[in-house]
Amino acid sequence: MIKKSVSYTLFAIMVAASMVLSGCGGATTTPTISGITPQASQTPVPEKKVATFIWNEEFDSLNPLYTNMWFSTVTQQLWDCWPWNFDENNNPIPNLVTEIPSIENGDISADGATITLHLKDGLMWSDNVPLTSEDFHFTWAMSVDPKNTVASSYPYSKITGVDTPDPKTVVLHFDGPFAPWLTTFRGIIPAHILQPVYDTDGTLDNAEWNTKPTVGCGPYVFTEWESGSFSSFTVNQNYWGKKPKIDEIFIRFVPDNASQIAALTAGDGDLSTFFPYNEIPKLKTAGLTIMTEPTGLNEGMFFLIDTNNKLGNPGLRDVNVRKAIAMAIDRDGIVHDLLLGMTTVPASYWSALPPFWNNPPLVNYPYDPQAAKNLLDQSGWVDSNGDGTRDKNGVELDLTYGTTNENETRSNVQAVVQQQLAAIGIKVELQSYSSDTFFAQDGPAATGKVDIMEWSDGPLVPDPDVYYWYCSEIPTADYPSGSNWQYLCDSQLDALSALQITQVDPVERQKTISQMNQIFYDKVYWLGLWVDPDVWAVGTRLTGVKFSGASPFFNISDWDLVTK
Amino acid sequence: MGRYILRRFLQGIPLLFIISIILFVLMMNMGDPIATMGGRTLTRPEDRLRLTRQLGLDKPIYIQYIYWLVGNDWAKVDLNGDGIAESSGTRHGILRGDFGTSLVNRGVPVIQVIAERLPNTLLLMIASEIVVIIGALLVGIYSALRQYSAFDHFLTAILFVGYSMPIFFVGLLSMYIFSVLFKRWGLPYLPTVGMFDPAVGRTFGQVVLHMILPVLTMSFVSFASYSRYIRSTMLEVMSQDYIRTAKSKGLPRATVLFIHALKNASLPIVTIVGLDLPFLLGGAVVTERIFAWPGTGRLFLDHVARSDLPVVMGILMLIAFAVVVFQIITDVVYAWLDPRIRFEA
Repeated sequence: MIKKSVSYTLFAIMVAASMVLSGCGGATTTPTISGITPQASQTPVPEKKVATFIWNEEFDSLNPLYTNMWFSTVTQQLWDCWPWNFDENNNPIPNLVTEIPSIENGDISADGATITLHLKDGLMWSDNVPLTSEDFHFTWAMSVDPKNTVASSYPYSKITGVDTPDPKTVVLHFDGPFAPWLTTFRGIIPAHILQPVYDTDGTLDNAEWNTKPTVGCGPYVFTEWESGSFSSFTVNQNYWGKKPKIDEIFIRFVPDNASQIAALTAGDGDLSTFFPYNEIPKLKTAGLTIMTEPTGLNEGMFFLIDTNNKLGNPGLRDVNVRKAIAMAIDRDGIVHDLLLGMTTVPASYWSALPPFWNNPPLVNYPYDPQAAKNLLDQSGWVDSNGDGTRDKNGVELDLTYGTTNENETRSNVQAVVQQQLAAIGIKVELQSYSSDTFFAQDGPAATGKVDIMEWSDGPLVPDPDVYYWYCSEIPTADYPSGSNWQYLCDSQLDALSALQITQVDPVERQKTISQMNQIFYDKVYWLGLWVDPDVWAVGTRLTGVKFSGASPFFNISDWDLVTK
Repeated sequence: MGRYILRRFLQGIPLLFIISIILFVLMMNMGDPIATMGGRTLTRPEDRLRLTRQLGLDKPIYIQYIYWLVGNDWAKVDLNGDGIAESSGTRHGILRGDFGTSLVNRGVPVIQVIAERLPNTLLLMIASEIVVIIGALLVGIYSALRQYSAFDHFLTAILFVGYSMPIFFVGLLSMYIFSVLFKRWGLPYLPTVGMFDPAVGRTFGQVVLHMILPVLTMSFVSFASYSRYIRSTMLEVMSQDYIRTAKSKGLPRATVLFIHALKNASLPIVTIVGLDLPFLLGGAVVTERIFAWPGTGRLFLDHVARSDLPVVMGILMLIAFAVVVFQIITDVVYAWLDPRIRFEA
């Protein structure tokens, strides 16, 4: 009796397991297992157009005030709205406003401290509630409220008040002339949904809308976000703008690069980005189109200069050493060999911005190791003790070079740079850290423990504003969070930085930026390695696709899916 | 037995307390959660200061541990940075069931963050464990009964190949063969990533299809150890006198095998499985990442990378608690299977 029951039980388990693992015995009817083909019906129903995007990072929050994460910010283009978007050349185009404020049209006051926005007629939230100036006021108020742990209170903290004389007029009062005003209001939050939450909880931190923004103002509306798996957005039936052609955007979170590439080449995704450059040929072979779009960011080297003569290798305080480094690294070769020629070498920190901000354009230091050696010789940096490394006054040109370890390209570039600097007598010790360590307030970069720091950075895109190099930003015991990790105090640069942020007239500001550009170039305060664009892989089904660096999905309503 | 279980649970409390202190100190030194909150550029200094204060990260480590343990609703905190602690804290501490809120998904309770992923992990891991145990039993018993046969040698070789290969390699290789190449060759192919095809929706069949590759990947690398244990214990048991007696009494082969031999041979397996079970909660970090499976393993990895201490501590303490519980369960089951063991002090 017992032996039979045991045998039958084992047998039953085995059968059940094999059925499960075989995918429930032929649930499919056609050549694909994964793409279960719908059975033919009597009346043909238009096929739902679902575009699948593959993101390799999951959102942290969907509330625009609570995140700076790129993947979350770009997704806001689908379901949220900004007063203005940016086109493929990163030029502003009106979205919620009737026209872009300017001095000429009188929407920017003479003193540059007051900006007036005129909202379009018929703006609606997806729940059919009008979007008004009150939503702008609420967004600003919440972003500067100390009870909310928003990701960044800047540039809202520069606004001293928001007037709403009528539902279609927003008047922004800044604490002074504020040139980067275009970077405000990247995402509007619905007052009629969130004000009651704030009134009840005293904070927006715990609002369900942060992870389930079911009410939005973009061409799509949020449907679902399953943690770790996917998020989906369907057409906003109450959208006040151009209705999108694709019915649903399905975003799948795939953290592993190899899996991301496999999914794209297997046709399991229509769009993706943030993949290693060396995978591009594989994607092209699979028929995907590769598109690049400047983001304003550049990968570059930040030198620990420390004008107080306390930190780092003293050699880096010599501009000729920095120039020699610039000439000793074959940056064009790096771009050609490691980045497959998909981008260029930036001559300045602002190179990735539109040409307007790079006028006159600068010409890169050439790759000339012999000239680099000559320059070091002339400056007294010679190998006096025969150890293979140049030295001067007892100081060896022995530098630490650190970056983050999540990027394969960076590791490869580090190895190339080490080899090329060794060829001119500069010894380099490579270091790599996780991002949360490298960029920590008490991390190696902030505390002056790395001579050459590498990461991708840029101004307040698409605005040229920078703040790192104020003398007041040098970290101290009383101000450990300072952002000037080069410990560089250049009074001329300091004055120009403070001036440009107040110049609301772009022409005047451009002249200031050009002067800053020239200082950076002449003194080699920063050395660009490559312009860091967004690189997109677009599947064969997607049409009408354009990207912008500042607001990638600005024309998402024009995108379509075709069957090939 | 009741007293024994109660005593073991009471012994587990100080153990968990010590584990929590060690993990907390280690995690506090992992990295800075504020460092990566700036997006593609550095977190602005004023935001660093504000967030550090608002999230309580400016407090000494022992204060942060106490707040994590017993909450801070009895203390005042400074929200606006004026140096005056004017607002009451809102945390209750894990001793009162509050694991805090995620720093990454700000405002979302840790319990919710973990609970959203746990069912997916259990689905994948239990399926994998079942496949491994059944497969290992079949292979182990067969190999023991046909010791040194050609098939035994063949199985041994295959199993050790699987055992020797890194799981990420097996996963990516299987994905490339059964998804990419099969599709290219016009054969029925398996999905690469996720839990279902968005064009079809989340159906039972879709989830099962998407489980095939990750389950087989995990099973392939785990078969070897389990099956070798079973093989060796079965060989040992099959040479015992009582088995010879059972055979000489004329009992059917299946009875001798499954009733007399396997029960005794399974004792070491119970220990191994019992100790493995709590780690099912932690998910399969590599497999979940490769197949984009939304489980706790990936959750752990994602949140460690951003130094999200509350979530990471929540996962680790959950596993630590499960280890304590499953060790007790294992001991009880072991004693139930082996009458020689008694619950005596």
